[in-house]
Formats: sequence, structure tokens, C-alpha cells
Amino acid sequence: MIMVVLILARIVAGHRHEALVAKRRHFLSLLLGDGSEEELAQLSQESPRLLGELSLELIQLVRGEERDQFIATATRLGIDAELRRRLIKGATRTRITAAEVLGDFPDDHSAAALEAALDDRSPDVRLAAALALAHSNRAPPVGLLVERLRLGTSERSLLITSLLADIARERQAEVRALIDDPAVPPPVKAAAIEALGATGDYSLVPVVNALALAADPSGEELPRYLRVLGNFQHPAGTPAVTKYLASPTWYVRAAAAEAAGKICLYELSYKLLAMLDDGDWWVRFRAGEALVRLGEPGRRLLGETARCGTERARDAARLTLAEQGVPA
Amino acid sequence: MMDIEWSGWAVASAEIIALVVIGTGLLQIGFYIVQLGFAGLSLAQRPPVVRSSQLWQRYAEQAPPIAVLAPAFNEEVTIVESVNSLLALHYPDFEVIVINDGSKDGTLARLLGHFGLERVDRYHDLTVQHQPIRGLYASPRLPRLLVVDKENGGKSDALNAGINVARSPLFCSIDADSLLESDALIRAVRPFVEEPEKMVAVGGTIRLANGSHIAAGRVTSVRLPTNFLALVQIMEYLRAFLMARLALSRMQVLTVISGAFGLFRRRLALEVGGYSHGTVGEDMELVVKLHRHMRDLKQEYRIEFIPEPVCWTEAPEDLTILGRQRSRWQRGALETFAKHRDMLFNPRYGRIGFIGFGQVMIVDVMGPVVEVVGYALVPLLWAVGLLAVEYLLAFLAITFTFGIFVSVATLILEEFELRRFPRASDLIILTAVAIVENFGYRQLSNLWRIWGMFQFFRKKQGWGTMTRKGFTSAEPSPPART
Repeated sequence: MIMVVLILARIVAGHRHEALVAKRRHFLSLLLGDGSEEELAQLSQESPRLLGELSLELIQLVRGEERDQFIATATRLGIDAELRRRLIKGATRTRITAAEVLGDFPDDHSAAALEAALDDRSPDVRLAAALALAHSNRAPPVGLLVERLRLGTSERSLLITSLLADIARERQAEVRALIDDPAVPPPVKAAAIEALGATGDYSLVPVVNALALAADPSGEELPRYLRVLGNFQHPAGTPAVTKYLASPTWYVRAAAAEAAGKICLYELSYKLLAMLDDGDWWVRFRAGEALVRLGEPGRRLLGETARCGTERARDAARLTLAEQGVPA
Repeated sequence: MMDIEWSGWAVASAEIIALVVIGTGLLQIGFYIVQLGFAGLSLAQRPPVVRSSQLWQRYAEQAPPIAVLAPAFNEEVTIVESVNSLLALHYPDFEVIVINDGSKDGTLARLLGHFGLERVDRYHDLTVQHQPIRGLYASPRLPRLLVVDKENGGKSDALNAGINVARSPLFCSIDADSLLESDALIRAVRPFVEEPEKMVAVGGTIRLANGSHIAAGRVTSVRLPTNFLALVQIMEYLRAFLMARLALSRMQVLTVISGAFGLFRRRLALEVGGYSHGTVGEDMELVVKLHRHMRDLKQEYRIEFIPEPVCWTEAPEDLTILGRQRSRWQRGALETFAKHRDMLFNPRYGRIGFIGFGQVMIVDVMGPVVEVVGYALVPLLWAVGLLAVEYLLAFLAITFTFGIFVSVATLILEEFELRRFPRASDLIILTAVAIVENFGYRQLSNLWRIWGMFQFFRKKQGWGTMTRKGFTSAEPSPPART
């Protein structure tokens, strides 16, 4: 019986489809600037849903002045109010989309609605609202976000890094304060460090170095700290990198070797060379890569190992050089 | 009806057998109803099915690199189109690793010639076992493509070589003759971004391309096939993916991620020794090994199925080939079940031991036997006067009505939540198929599964000869299991 109803509904929908496509095309041209205010207002009363959907699609597709124009039109048509309604009353997926799009509306009502959504029952909606606020530079204080979204405890998504990076664009000090706060969970600290890593602020290097030295030796955060130190390419990261080249955990050793290469720590050449005989492939691979990054001295050491190292080290050295097009 | 005086023990035995048949049937029915509930809940609460551009905006920055592993054996005719389609995937950071598994035709030559590849050296892992690699080929013009040429060892062996050569934290195993939707990777990676520390593996939906229009390695227009066997398989795939896997994933007891499309954490796949050799159900076995490994480590983890990422494959349209495929799937399930039987109802393995393995036991191990025994026993008991006609009719009515109910309920879920079949006529045809398949095809399918059990007990190895039409031309290759 339900199937019969569904099939009938589909037949009706099928008949209406072509009319809908034509209507969509017409609305699109009006929204793209071919229609008068009166026409748009009339259509928004006739088919508010279709006009709403189309506006949202366009807002998400374009950038710059055109987007501002669509947002202005959508606001006049009351679409922001509809989105705010959906953000409260919709299903989870509807609320997420509403939050994402509302971030583009600059008015205070939308910002207030998004802030209220930070306490939504769904963690996905909470994070979407936070991302939308951060993207439009309207995020509440970072400390408050960490608490309300339970960042680093129940919410451990990689999107935390995107969130903090968006906030750090305008409020770097606030994100940096997370690193120094002992109450902030380690995953948030790691995300904050990654977010700030892109800023090129070398004053962070000693801070990250100290955090790495104090981190749980087998924790998930430690490789992230080491990678950031590598990306800074600053010698102030040497103590942590040196310490963790001898870590009992393979992925920490691999991350330290990678960082040593990126920072060009020549003094660690022989340690890296010894790592070509490591029991774990990733460590051998990263050590070889790091030696190549050291330039001529590193390549010379690789060449020597390729000739007279242990079998495992020989293979690592020979193939690393071969990948670089350098004969062993 | 014969008028025979049956001794007490014969009657008692018949009653016990009948009770086992009815009990198992009820258990299956109960489990299907639970699955339907969970599938409906999961679909209703899934994240929005948004446009690729939105997904890109949301996840691209944090999406980890992926190595797409495509094993190829004698794929000369379609390999170039398949690789072109893979290279056109929309994902921020990926590489395509084609593993030529000792093809006897011109697969390698076609790849090298068309893409202008040259022999290269690349330092790679040797953690998992596979047949020797004869050479690696790449071109600076196509930095995303790497071809591994190795000696023949089968699909699992080829995938193991791919895992060793891959350098990304995630790998995606696919069939070289399947077609991935261009945004399949960015959709599938979502759980790895959202729960990076727990996520172990993610499976996506496989759909049948029989009847659909395909151009340049993409399904351009979804159509139903005209072949009855292909139509029935569309219903089977709907039930398998939209109901069973979605529900099992929701319960966190998923035991199969299809070999045609699955995303795995490379490090963990290496820790469990990669794909096992000497089994035809290597995809199921890898997932079970991952469950076991994570439970043994006492670590929180998740293995998910998500309905959106779509991989298109071709279903057999010939009874012999289909029968061979189904008996092989059955054999694969039994091999995995037997190998890991200590997990069944073992408290150490929690819900995967009780619900996941319990489901495999009821549906895959006991299901076909009980159903066939039921079909044979009921008329037999009736013939010797131990069963009333009303019971016979009631048994058949329940069996068929429930079979139809499950299929139609899956179709309803499809129509409400996904609406992937474009025309109303598709729904009419599929509804008819949901009814018709119960009379003949269902029984035949059980016989194929019984044959698979027989092969398992005879310890038969190998895939048997499989023939595929190919999306564009005739082609031999093993099909995807569901």
C-alpha cells in the first residue's frame, strides 16, 4: 500500500519535474539580476521554498561582490529568517546546512542564532555553528568555545584545527593562550599549534619545543608537535627533535626524523644514518628523506651506507638516492 | 497422504527439526526487523547529502592523503579508461596505485604506452607478504599515478603489494573494473576527519551499473537493466547495503566492507598482516581481523558504512556465472567464520562476537540450510501425515510474506531517504521484482549457497572462471562481493 502511494507520488512528481526545471531556470535568471524587486517579491510569495533553495545554492557557489549581492537579495526575501527557523526546528542534517549558510549572513540575528546553536543537542551542529561563526570572524572567546563544544574531550574532530585557524587569522593571541593554559586538553593544544604553525611566528617554536618535551611519549599529540616544529624549520626545535629520535615509539621516531630533515639539523646526521637500520620502515624512510634534505653531506652519507651498511640500511640508502635520481 | 504408524522417536525427531527450522526462521525475521529499524534511524540521522563543493569546503583542508589501490588482472581492454576515471577523482591529496597482478594479456603494455610510464625506483615497505614485485613505473607528467608490476598471486596478494608501496595513512581498495563517483573519496573520508583517533575502516555503497549509461568512465544516466537476473541483484544489493550494512554499522558490528570500495587505515592493516592469502573472502576477513585486533588491544574504535559514496560495478547476467559467484561468497563467509570461530559468543569480543558473529551464524551458516530443510521437510511431513495443511500454508505464507516485506521496506527507505532511481516506472519494476524473486530465485539462491557450503567442506580453493561483459566490452575478471 505504501509502495502504491510512493509510486503515485513519484508519478505526480515526475509530471511536475519539467515545470519545476523551467521555473528554476526563470528564478535563476531573476536572482542573477534580470528581475525587478517586485517580481522577486511576488515569486517569493508564490514559491518561497524553491526561491530559498536556489538562493542558498548561489550563496554557496559564488564569492566576493556577487555573494554579497545574493545575500542582500536573500535577506530581503526573508531567507535568513527561514534559515534561523530551520536551525532550531530542523532535523540534524537540516540544522547543519542552515548553520553553514547562516554564517554568510552578516546580521546580528543570524550571529545570535548561531551562537545559540553552540548549545545544540547535536555535536555536529555545534561544530558547524562554531565554524560558521569563526569563518565570519564572529566566534565567541576561544576558551568559551572549548568549554561549550567540549573540544578535545568528547569532540576530537580534525576540524578543530580549521576552527582555530579561522579564529587565529584575526585573534592570534587568543588561540595562543590555549597553548599556555594547563586546563586545555592536549588535542586542542595540538590543534592550536597546528593552526598557528601557518602564521610563521617563530616565537612559538620554544613553546612548542617545551610542550613536546613535556608530552606523553606515546601520545597522539607528540608527532603533531614534532611536525609543526619541522614546518617552522627553526633550530630552536632541536632539543625535542633530538630527544625523540631515540623514542621507543616508531611513529614518534619517524616524526622526529622528518623534523630533523626539515630543520636541516646537520649535527644529527649520524643519528639519522643509524636510523636507516631501524626496525620500522617508516622510520627508515623518514631518516633517508631527512638525509637527502641535508644536501650534499647527507647524500654523501647515504652513498657510503648504500655501499657498506647493513643489508636493511643499504636498501634504504640506495633506494632513497635512486628516488632522487642520484646513483649510489 | 500416506497412512503410516510412526514410532514415537520419529515423531519426536521431526518435531525437533521442525522447531529448529521455525526457531531459526523467527530469529532471522527478528534480526531483519531490528536491522530495518536501525537502518531507518541511521538514514534519518545521517549528515546532509550535500554537494561536492560543500564537502570540499568543509573537509578538504583536513582530509588525509589516500592511496587508491586498484588490482588489475587481464584488464587490457578497459584499464586505460578505468585509470583515467580514477585520476579524475575529486580529492585534495591522493595517488592511484595500479597493481598489475601478473596479467597474461597486454595490460601492462597498455598502461606503459598510454600514460608514457617509465621504470622507477621507490623505497617501499615489505611488512606484508606478497609475490615478488617485478618493477614500478611512473611518469613525472602524472605524479598521481604509480604502476606496480608483480607476479601473479591473486587479488589479496596484489592488494598487499599495494599496501606496502602506499605511503598515505589511508588506502582505498577498489576493483580496477569498478567505477567510482568522482566525489566518493571526499565523502568516504568524512568519518576519518570527524573521529580521527577511532576510525579504522569505512565502506561505501556498491551499485549495479547494468542497464545504466556510461561515458568516459562515469555513470551518466541511471537506468534499470532489462535482464531479470540483474534486476533481482539490484534488489539484493539494496537490501545488503541500505538495510543490512547500514544497520550493522550503526550497531558497530559490521563484518564486511566490500572489496570493490573500502577505505582503511594503512597502519592497522599492516598490523594485522594485510589481506590473508588462501581465502576467497579476503575482504570480510580483513574487517574481522581488524575487529579482533582492536578488541585485543582494548582500544576504542569504529568501523563504519556510509551510504553516500558510490562505486558502480557490473553484476553477472548469466545463471552459471551468478551461481559460481554466490557459492564463492558463501565459501568466503564460511572460511572467515571458521577461521575466527573463537570470537563467536566470546565475551572478550563483545558485541562483534555476540551480534556480528551471531548474525553471520544465523544468516550465512544456518540460514540456507534451514530454509532448504524447511522447504524439503514441510511437504515431506505433510505427505506422511505429520503436518496439517494449515501449518504448511502458514509456513509458506510467513516465509514469502516476510521476504516481500523486507524487500519492500528497503525500497521504501530508498525512496524516502535517497531517491536514486529516477523514474516512477523503476519503482514499479522493483516492487514487482521484490515479489517475484521469492518464487524461484530465492530457492535457487539458497541452493547456490548450499553448494558453496559443500565446496567449503570439500576444502575447494580458488575463484573458478568468471566472465564479465565489462562496462564497455567483454572481459574476464572477478566480480565484487557484497
